Amino acid sequence: MSALRRHVELSLRLYFRNRMALLYGYLFPIIFLIAFWVLYRYDRVPLVGHVGELLTVTILGGACFGLPTTLVSERERGVWRRYRLAPVPTSTLVAGTLAARYVALVGAGLVQLAIAMALGMPFPERLLELLVAFTAVSFAFLGLGLVIATLADTVPAVQALGQCIFLPMLIIGGVAVKLSSLPDWALHVSAFFPGRYAVHALQSCATGHGLGEAKLSLVALIVIGAAGMITGSKMFRWDAQQRFVARGGKGWLVVALGAWIGMGGLAEAQGHVAAPAASPEPVAALNVSAAPSYNVAPALEPPSLSSDSTVVPQCRSTPISWRAVTLPMIESDALFEAALPPDPGLVTPMVPENSPPEPQLAGEIKKLTRALESWGPAKDGDPGQRVWNLLFVAGTFDIDQLAIERRVPWVVFDQMKREHPKDRLIKILYWIACNPDSLPVPSDEELKALELRGRPGDIRETRHRSAIYAIKLLGRLLGRIR
Amino acid sequence: MTAEPAANSPNTSHAVVVRGLRKSYGQVEAVRDVSFEVDPGEIFGILGPNGAGKTTTIECILGLRDPDQGTVQVCGIDALRHGPQVKQRIGAALQTTALQDKLTPREAIALFASFYDARLDLDALLARFALTDKANAHFDTLSGGQRQRLALALAFVNDPEVLVLDEPMAGLDPSSRRELHDQIARFKRDGKTVLLTTHQIDEAEELCDRIAIFDRGRVVAIGAPRDLVAKLSGDKTVSLTTSSPLDPAALADLPAVKGLTCNGDVVHFTTSEPTRSLAALMTLLAERGVGVVALSVKAGTLEDVYLERTGAEAEK
Repeated sequence: MSALRRHVELSLRLYFRNRMALLYGYLFPIIFLIAFWVLYRYDRVPLVGHVGELLTVTILGGACFGLPTTLVSERERGVWRRYRLAPVPTSTLVAGTLAARYVALVGAGLVQLAIAMALGMPFPERLLELLVAFTAVSFAFLGLGLVIATLADTVPAVQALGQCIFLPMLIIGGVAVKLSSLPDWALHVSAFFPGRYAVHALQSCATGHGLGEAKLSLVALIVIGAAGMITGSKMFRWDAQQRFVARGGKGWLVVALGAWIGMGGLAEAQGHVAAPAASPEPVAALNVSAAPSYNVAPALEPPSLSSDSTVVPQCRSTPISWRAVTLPMIESDALFEAALPPDPGLVTPMVPENSPPEPQLAGEIKKLTRALESWGPAKDGDPGQRVWNLLFVAGTFDIDQLAIERRVPWVVFDQMKREHPKDRLIKILYWIACNPDSLPVPSDEELKALELRGRPGDIRETRHRSAIYAIKLLGRLLGRIR
Repeated sequence: MTAEPAANSPNTSHAVVVRGLRKSYGQVEAVRDVSFEVDPGEIFGILGPNGAGKTTTIECILGLRDPDQGTVQVCGIDALRHGPQVKQRIGAALQTTALQDKLTPREAIALFASFYDARLDLDALLARFALTDKANAHFDTLSGGQRQRLALALAFVNDPEVLVLDEPMAGLDPSSRRELHDQIARFKRDGKTVLLTTHQIDEAEELCDRIAIFDRGRVVAIGAPRDLVAKLSGDKTVSLTTSSPLDPAALADLPAVKGLTCNGDVVHFTTSEPTRSLAALMTLLAERGVGVVALSVKAGTLEDVYLERTGAEAEK
């Protein structure tokens, strides 16, 4: 025990004395965080929607690059050969190295959270669950790091191998690019990468309902981690002269790869391949009082206040993201056959297209048009979210029965058409019509910036009306509604 | 689990016993049926050219390699079955060991001490190996000699009964070599056993009580350096300078002479019976009236033994 404790202690000291380790383990993730902060500067609550991605990148760097680099470099120098002369099992020393790396990762994660909070992110309320998720992700990636260390003969080989895993995970594995922005094929591929489960588990604890909604991800991380640890320990090489090619026992790699494939297959079989719906809003996981400048909507919205809430026609298809929407999918749907509220009516009213504005309202419409052009939520990084935010403005004007309510759908429609190619807008509007209850809505503060009184009391109804507007505008784009 | 002396072994009085050791790497037989014993309190050297199987043998003793065949006992314990118990009693310094760049000698010694049941005092070890001033310096700032001393300090950290050193003098300057010789001698004075490998003949001759000469994975000679010289090379080399040139044909009949060369007034030869050869030579010189300007008779050296046994001489 004394040997293990001292080895952990010393490994940590060496870690913090190593500039390269600090660069990869601490500075690199901070650069990522700043980049996310700048990239998603129009987010309602800074960075909270990206905690999963940021922490995953932090763990990936430390576990899949840092750990194997250290292990292989020490092996090349003969450090592990020297350890072998001691009466302590090699497994004890490997466990010490892993434990030290985990502590370093927790430190890097805390630094990430602290900086994110300094930039306006609220304190995570589900901190304990976040720590559990963080531990599971670390376990999975440290196992992977151990496997990389057994595969690579030299430090440059670690870098090459690490990149082969790191980059695909970043780009199509759901780590740096949101799943909702990925094409259909990439969503299927991402199910076979642990990065996706890592982001989901961590994000669920940051803005969702905690680990309860990320059970599959948690299981996947533990299975992948255990498989990596088994493979890594069975194939561990302490001697630089033992080259991988000449070494036996390569069959253990099947265990590590099998876990990836098995969990991907399970996700496919259980229908968990679709991009998870964005968490409605982060209240359940955030201590709102700690972020007074941001007013966030409740995670679970109250039932509709109106007795006769608007019914949104049901879609026949369930596209996993707006990118997965196809024209035949829309054409085969019966959205436009359903009875939509009439345009001249009280619910989702619209003036006829190109009708001249009433003189007394012209100024107000112009003002809204200008305000929307620089409105934060209309600049969201996700095209689908941008369109939804604009539709929600139209829905809010409708609910609040403001004077220009019949004009607002056209104002937002014009802005959408300016910013999105027609086919993309068609896909997004259809996808919104099919998912009116899952997308985050603008905050009170953001709506007040448009001189609205804030969010309407009945958000569900507002969502439904916004979705009706989506169908009405989609119908016009497709020529199905005149 | 308690380590027990190997069953059916009459060799528990030896510090190290190696019997019928074999180790191959693919098609290459690195060690072929090697056997030897090392007595307690003895400095035993394994001498041989590169690739002779010295390091592989040492690695099998230390538990770094599993031999294909054979047995190894250290302090009466079967090293192949009770590796951890044997490691508690061995101190070792390997040929190429580097530690982490930012590790200090104090931390390294404290870490390695934590691996063992018995531990020497950290500050005493630092002082013994002249590392007190560098106790908190990072490994990458230490000189070659200081690194070697640290490697030795780590080998001594558990107050071992048997010290195993693989090429301990490699890369050391003369003063560091002298320090290391002193440390090894001190260890022997304490009644401990040293097993070392080297390819430096003078070092083996100076330090070792007994040596085993390895060649192509086999032990080709074993014994005290003096005995090896006496046993393996009984011939003496005679060099003679005369006052006037000699006729080589006249020297051909000298008894027990081999390798005769005569270049005017300079004569060289080896003889297995120096008394008889020299008596006949002196008689010949007296008969011909030739004076002796210089005469030397030299015995063989360990180097001669080494070269003869390892076949290097033939290659020359």
